[in-house]
Amino acid sequence: MLSVRFWGVRGSIPCPGSATVVYGGNTACLEIRADDRLVILDLGTGVKPLGDWLMAEELKKGPIDTDIFISHTHWDHIMGFPMFTPLFIPSTKLRIRGPVPFEDDTLESIIGAQLSYRYWPVRQTELAAKIVYDQIRETVLDLGDGLKVTTKFLNHPISCLGYRFEYQGKSIVTCYDHEPFRNLFPTDPGLPGYDEYAALEGEQAAKDENAKVINFFKGADVLIRDTQYTAAEYNEHLGWGHSSYEDSLASASAAGIKKLIFFHHDPNRTDAQLVELEKVYCARAAHAGVEAMMAREGLIIEA
Amino acid sequence: MKPELSEKIDEYIKNMPSLPTSVAKVLEVCNNPQTSPADLNHVISLDPVLVGRVLKLINSAYYGLSSHVTNLVRAIIMLGINTVKNLALSTAVMGNLAGKKDPLGLDMEGFWRHSLCVGVAAKLLAKKRGIDPKLAEEYFTAGLLHDIGKIPLNTVLSKEYMLTLHEADMERISLHKGEEKTLGLDHCAAGAMVVKAWKLEGAVGDAIIFHHSSEAYAGNSVDVLYSVIAANRFASLGDIGFAGDRYPDKIEKSVWDALGITQEAFAELEPMVNSEIEKAKIFLKI
Repeated sequence: MLSVRFWGVRGSIPCPGSATVVYGGNTACLEIRADDRLVILDLGTGVKPLGDWLMAEELKKGPIDTDIFISHTHWDHIMGFPMFTPLFIPSTKLRIRGPVPFEDDTLESIIGAQLSYRYWPVRQTELAAKIVYDQIRETVLDLGDGLKVTTKFLNHPISCLGYRFEYQGKSIVTCYDHEPFRNLFPTDPGLPGYDEYAALEGEQAAKDENAKVINFFKGADVLIRDTQYTAAEYNEHLGWGHSSYEDSLASASAAGIKKLIFFHHDPNRTDAQLVELEKVYCARAAHAGVEAMMAREGLIIEA
Repeated sequence: MKPELSEKIDEYIKNMPSLPTSVAKVLEVCNNPQTSPADLNHVISLDPVLVGRVLKLINSAYYGLSSHVTNLVRAIIMLGINTVKNLALSTAVMGNLAGKKDPLGLDMEGFWRHSLCVGVAAKLLAKKRGIDPKLAEEYFTAGLLHDIGKIPLNTVLSKEYMLTLHEADMERISLHKGEEKTLGLDHCAAGAMVVKAWKLEGAVGDAIIFHHSSEAYAGNSVDVLYSVIAANRFASLGDIGFAGDRYPDKIEKSVWDALGITQEAFAELEPMVNSEIEKAKIFLKI
């Protein structure tokens, strides 16, 4: 059985408080399970409660030995790492994979930079766990025991990967911190900087790249999408690297998605606002033949 | 080639700075938070090093996929404007940090004019011959980058390269033959190192490697290669810019036949190419 549990559902910055107790205020962290096999996706602040839970419930069954995937290295997706308690247990084994923004950086130096005295009282060299880092790009990985993961670059200000987990004929796909590709070049001949070639190639490039993304999550049992904005808000945040409810729903419908999860909530969204948004967009999803729901901490979805 | 020489060249290629002709405009465009993608595309498209570095970034990230990105417009859309700006800015700043060095045998503005001329001429020849406008852009890139291998030779081996230029001039031989004779490798071999480091395999890489040895070419991009060869000849005959080759080899008849043109096509090109270069000079403020 393939499933996902949400430990952090926010983008940008954690937002704990009385207005976020229903959906949660932690930043991105997902627990993927292939039966008992654990995979962690993103190390936002949600990885702290996940780590605490593992210490309390899993360590007694044996050492914590897991694969961790990072979508990208913006701080909200890695800030929980220093507080992931299993780091301090000698028997812990972690394999951390993810993209790096520029080739000269290493994943270890980027994530590990948080573990230096200027930021945190414990240094990377003082960790007890055994950690292996692997910088990845678009690839297909066989994690063994029938669990396969395929990666795809998304559209975000830095290199960001979507992940497609497949197990026993079921699939869970992540596609967050993704903004639909768009033609950045003027298409109106009257505008300054207009160039016929750039206009045509820009339109084709955006169309091609968006088709590749939809193909990546096509037919997924569960699709976890970026819904930081509504369509109106998105138009005021072009180029910031996030999507809208409307686009997420339209592309999920086009791709024949069974369950769509609205995720990466803007930190300013209160529980009351999310309740209202959930009503509106889940109704629209039902109308389009897609089962949709709002991600909240603690939610478990079976593929 | 001596191992230490190839190591020095490889090291230089990793941090090759943009051409001095582009630095001021790159800094202006990239430091402007409101810069438009069109202006960014324009300033990058005029600099062979910047073009190569952007293509390297996009093709490194997507390495292993069936399709290779060979044009700036798509690269900017896929990478995003800020990523490309940051790369262009860091590449431009690299040159300034290098400080003063030995005088160079090859003048960089003359090199730039030559490179742009070959790019523009290759593209115009392609359009004249009915090549799809979408594909013509690749001809431009291949022409713009064809002599990229001269930059590491000119910089890493500045003294030797000055002697090489002098030798080729005195013996009235083509530059690549002079390079082979005095350095043990020519700019196409050095260019092959750039192609590998920047993952420019494909039509662009082939033009860099084979533009002086087309008879040995067995790849799939004959038309781009031959167009670059013809454009290179055009630039040399017209004395547009100067990239060190005072006595260029003649073009084989098979190249002209394959392209379906004669040297008379050059007469039509000259005013258009000169116009493009003047526009570029105005844009770059040089």
